[in-house]
Amino acid sequence: MMLKIENLHCKVETADGEEKPILKGLSLEVPAGEVHAIMGPNGSGKSTLSYVLTGREGYDVTGGAIAFGGEDIGEMEPEERAAKGLYLSFQYPVEIPGVPTITFLKEALNAQRKARGETEVSAPEFMKLIREKAKQLGVSMDMLKRAVNVGFSGGEKKRMEILQALVLEPKFLILDETDSGLDIDALKTVSDGVNALRAPDRGMLVITHYQRLLDHITPDRVHVMANGRIVKSGGPELARELEAEGYDKYLGEAA
Amino acid sequence: MTTAALTHTPAEQALIEALQGATGWRAQLREATREQGLPTKRNELWKWSDLRRAANDVSAAGELVVDGLDAAFLRPDDGARLNLTLTAKPGASAADAEVTVPAGHAVTLVEHYRAEAGALGNWHLKITLETGARLDRVCIAADAPDGVFVSSAEIVLAPGAVLNQRTLDFGAKLSRIETHITHPGEGADVDLGGVYLLDAKHHADTTTVVHHTGPGGQTRQLVKGAAASHGHGVFQGKFIVDRAAQQTDARMTHRALMLDDRAEIDAKPELEIYADDVQCAHGNALGAIDETALFYMRQRGLPAPKARALLIESFLAEPLDGIADESLRETLKGELRNRLEALS
Ligand SMILES: Nc1ncnc2c1ncn2[C@@H]1O[C@H](COP(=O)(O)OP(=O)(O)O)[C@@H](O)[C@H]1O
Ligand SMILES: [Mg+2]
Repeated sequence: MMLKIENLHCKVETADGEEKPILKGLSLEVPAGEVHAIMGPNGSGKSTLSYVLTGREGYDVTGGAIAFGGEDIGEMEPEERAAKGLYLSFQYPVEIPGVPTITFLKEALNAQRKARGETEVSAPEFMKLIREKAKQLGVSMDMLKRAVNVGFSGGEKKRMEILQALVLEPKFLILDETDSGLDIDALKTVSDGVNALRAPDRGMLVITHYQRLLDHITPDRVHVMANGRIVKSGGPELARELEAEGYDKYLGEAA
Repeated sequence: MTTAALTHTPAEQALIEALQGATGWRAQLREATREQGLPTKRNELWKWSDLRRAANDVSAAGELVVDGLDAAFLRPDDGARLNLTLTAKPGASAADAEVTVPAGHAVTLVEHYRAEAGALGNWHLKITLETGARLDRVCIAADAPDGVFVSSAEIVLAPGAVLNQRTLDFGAKLSRIETHITHPGEGADVDLGGVYLLDAKHHADTTTVVHHTGPGGQTRQLVKGAAASHGHGVFQGKFIVDRAAQQTDARMTHRALMLDDRAEIDAKPELEIYADDVQCAHGNALGAIDETALFYMRQRGLPAPKARALLIESFLAEPLDGIADESLRETLKGELRNRLEALS
C-alpha cells in the first residue's frame, strides 16, 4: 500500500493555548497508481490532514499511524517526507518575498536529490527542465523570475503549485482545493497538468468541495470526510451524489 | 560637570596613555575619556551599548593598524577607490583620517573593520564632499568576534553632493558604526543602507544622525537586521530638520527579525523637525521568521537551516542592493550568505 493511514488522531493548539482535537480516528488507504478524492464540508479537517501527512509543526499526532511506502513517517521532518516523495499543493500557497521562484525550485529539487543520494541537476539541465514544464502549464519565464507567489493571482498561485509538482516529480501528491480560485480555462490547464502526473507508480489525494475538478480528474475512489473522520467511501458516482444532495446526512452521522 | 571624582577603569587609563601627545580628533577623544570616562548606558547616546563594560578586558595600550591609506589627509582622484583595513590589536587604540572628495569627483571608499580579542579600537573619519561630489562608502565589520570596535564618521556635504553609504555589520563583543552627516539640501542627496546579522553574544550598533540645514534635501535610510539567541542589535537613527531646511524629504526605516526569543533588538528612530513644509517619516518594525513560509519551503524539500537562511537572506539583502559597484555588491551579498549558512 502506498499510503496507509490508520485510526489517525491529531490535535492542534489554538491561539488561546487550548488543545483542540481535529482528526478523530481517520483511516484511509491509497494504492500506487490510484487517485482518491476527499470531499467534505468546511472545517471537517481536510487541510489538517494534509498538514499532518506532511509533518507541519503544531499538528501533533496523538494516536494512530501514517505509513508511506510501508514506512512509518509519523515522526519525520517535513523535508524528509518531501524527499521521500510526498508533495502538498497548498490550499493557500505561501508568498516568499525576495526569493525568485526559479531559484527556489532549483534549490528544492537539488535538496531532495541530495537527500536521496542522487546527483544534483546542473544549471543548464534545470533550465531545460523548467522551460519544458512551464510551457506545458502556460507559465511565462518572466513569472518564474518573480518571487515565489508574490503578487500572483489566486489562479496563478495554483498553477505554480502544479508546475512545482511537475518539476519535482513526487511519488504522491496531495492537492488541497487546487480548484478554488481557478476559472474554466485555468481549471482545464491545471487538470491537464495533474493528469500528466498520473502514473502507475504515483498516488494522489485530491481534496475538493466540488464535482467540477473531478470532471477533469476522474478519481478511482471518493471519500466523504466529516468531523475528522472518513464517514463514507465509494466510486466516482459518490461525488455526483454529494454534489446533488450535499453533506447534511453525513454531518448527522459524524456528530 | 564634576571631573575630580572620576576613577578611570584600566581601559580608560590605557586609552588615555595610548593617546599621549595626540592632536586633533584623537586629542579630543583623550580629553573626553579623561573627563567623562568611556560612555556607559547612562549616556543617552550609548544607552544600549555600554562601551565601558564591553572594554572590561582591556588594560594596556594597543595599536590600530591602518592599511590602504598613504596619508592622513586625502584628496582622491576622480574614480578612485580606496580600500582601507583597520585592525585593532589587543589593547586600547585610536586612529583617524580626513578625506575630501573634490568638486564633481566620484570616489568609492571601502572600510574593513577588524578587532582582535581584547582590543578596543576607535576609528574616526572626517569626510568632506565638495559641490557635486559623490562618495560611495561601504563599511564592513565582519572580523571582530571578540573585540570592541567603534567607527565614527563626520560627513559634511556641499550642495549637489551625493552620499551613498552602506554598512554590513556581523557584530563583535561590541561593534558600533556611527555616522554624523551635515546635509545642506540644495540638490544634495543622502542614501543610507545598513545590514546587521548577529549570532550568539554579538552586538552591533548602527547610529546615525542626519542634520538637514538647507532647503530641498533628500534622505533615504533603510536598515535591516537579524539577531539570533543572545545577539543584540541596536539602531539609533535621528533626522534633524532645521527651520531653514524647508521641503526636506527624509525617510527612515528600520526592520529587524528576532531569530529567537532570547535575541535583543533596541531601536530608537527619531525625528526632530523645526521646519513646517517637509515630508519626513520613520518606520520601525520587529518581527519573527514567517513559520508558514518556513514550512512551505521545507515541504518542497529544503532542509530547515537552508530554508531559514534563504528567508533571512531575502529579508536582509535589500539595503545591499543599493551598492553601486556590482562586484562589491556581490561580494557583500556572498559574505552575508556565508554567514547565514554558518548561523547557529
Ligand atoms: N492551527 C489551528 N488552530 C486552531 N484551530 C485550527 C487550526 N487548524 C485547523 N483548525 C480548526 O480545525 C478545523 C478543521 O480545519 P481544516 O483542517 O482547515 O478544515 P477544512 O480544510 O476541512 O476546511 C476547523 O474548525 C479549524 O478552525
Ligand atoms: Mg481546507
